Amino acid sequence: MSVSHHDKSVVAAFKLVKAPIYSHCYSNDKSLLAITCDTNCLVYRLQGPNSQPKLVATLADHDKTVTAVDISVHGRIVTCSQDRNAYVWEPLSDGTYRATLVLLRINRAATAVCWAPSGYKFAVGSSARIIAVCYYEQENNWWVSKHIRKPIKSTVNCLSWHENGVLLASGGTDGYMRVFSGFIKGLDSKDIMTGSPWGDKFPFGSLVKEWYQGSYIHDVEWRSNIEKVGYVSHDGCLSVADSQGQVQTVDAPEGLPYRSLLWINDHEILCGGYSCHPVMFTEGTGAWKFSQSLDQVNKGAPAASHFAGDNDEDDENPTFGMSALRKFKELDLKGKVTAHEQESAHENAIVQLRTFAESNGQVTQVSSCGLDGKIVIYSV
Amino acid sequence: MDNWRRIDIDAFDPESGRLSAQDLIPPNETVVTLQELQPKISQLRSLASSGSMDSAVKLATSDPPYGADNSTKATYFQAVLEALTQVRQSDIANIIQQLSSEQQDVLVKYLYKGMSVPEGQKQGGILLAWFEKLTQKAGVNPIVRYLSDRRTI
Repeated sequence: MSVSHHDKSVVAAFKLVKAPIYSHCYSNDKSLLAITCDTNCLVYRLQGPNSQPKLVATLADHDKTVTAVDISVHGRIVTCSQDRNAYVWEPLSDGTYRATLVLLRINRAATAVCWAPSGYKFAVGSSARIIAVCYYEQENNWWVSKHIRKPIKSTVNCLSWHENGVLLASGGTDGYMRVFSGFIKGLDSKDIMTGSPWGDKFPFGSLVKEWYQGSYIHDVEWRSNIEKVGYVSHDGCLSVADSQGQVQTVDAPEGLPYRSLLWINDHEILCGGYSCHPVMFTEGTGAWKFSQSLDQVNKGAPAASHFAGDNDEDDENPTFGMSALRKFKELDLKGKVTAHEQESAHENAIVQLRTFAESNGQVTQVSSCGLDGKIVIYSV
Repeated sequence: MDNWRRIDIDAFDPESGRLSAQDLIPPNETVVTLQELQPKISQLRSLASSGSMDSAVKLATSDPPYGADNSTKATYFQAVLEALTQVRQSDIANIIQQLSSEQQDVLVKYLYKGMSVPEGQKQGGILLAWFEKLTQKAGVNPIVRYLSDRRTI
């Protein structure tokens, strides 16, 4: 797929499906890409930036819209859906996947899923005001789910695990960003939390800290090494909170809200959302501020071809005034102006950003999925 | 099963509980009574009648009574609307320049409220002029925040 007409920050753009992609994820070595598509999860094998990824597996056990997908360090895929279930997909040697149903015990849609860094447990957010933390029980050959309920007041939109695998950040439509403990006895060690700035005791499900933003929280992400957590909300803000309860907020320059954020390094965050292109924010002295837009369409400067072909048929009698033909011709031009403009790689809102390549703690390439059914890879 | 969306699943789970209006009230909201607000309203009226419109608008859009009951909010809104509609069209842009970002956010709330009630609709032209100048200055940001803000005026 040619991307030459796009901004230079766009490395690759793949139109994969004719449906919104709500969530996507890459395997550890970035060779496999999993996306949500209607009631399925599609797995693709990447073949470089210039050729379309190849569909290698369709994970089709859900019977309602799949809302989120994540891949663990071991290559297990977890999907969750509006059918209130989650499946863990174990890759087999022949390239197929074996599905294991995870009973989440929730009575509304599952909305978000996130593997812990260890790959031995994951958390599922839901509209039932519950976060289900699921882990595998060897003796029963079964994924067990434990619930975090209080004090969640509404749908959980997003989840993020701290690198230590204990702290779990969540955001939702009740306007709160909360940090919970997802400590599982027998799976997590207490030692990992010694000296944590977030507290001393972390029993499962306890609320560690919460921040009130007021509007829907769309995405949340930890930056574990500096003990900060960033989140984006529907009032068009990016906020960064720390263990002291402090929060720094910065407005979207274009006003439109972001649906996703990604830490590029300790002092830079990339956001993507309804403006259809990623936006970079940088931490200056004591405050976050907008630094640059990637792949932004310049609305003021349509492509040079605009109006170029308009002269050929205008040699009719000008005194004829508003002839019917002319009137219809002008009507025909209406709404076409945008077709002449350069378009951003995403034609609809970006809903999720993921790391595609990084070196020394610095993300160098970012992948995004959007409601337009595209996956776009940007270099930052 | 086609009608699964219509099943009242909460009826089967007493613990589930519906989201009540109470749940959505922002935390740390201080209750304001009409009595406490009366001095501010008088001050607002006197500023407006003495012609210092910039101070009047700044006062009106600072610290609005989010925690008040509906009738108190309505009384305060009346005073704000009177002040806003007394401003000359040519002065609007200048006053908006002087407002902080928070004050602009509050102003948008009063403009929308004004356009939603008959008293305000009679003055629709001036409210739209305010709205136009505000979006020229601040873009869509205050509108996006207005749409998602649970603190109502």
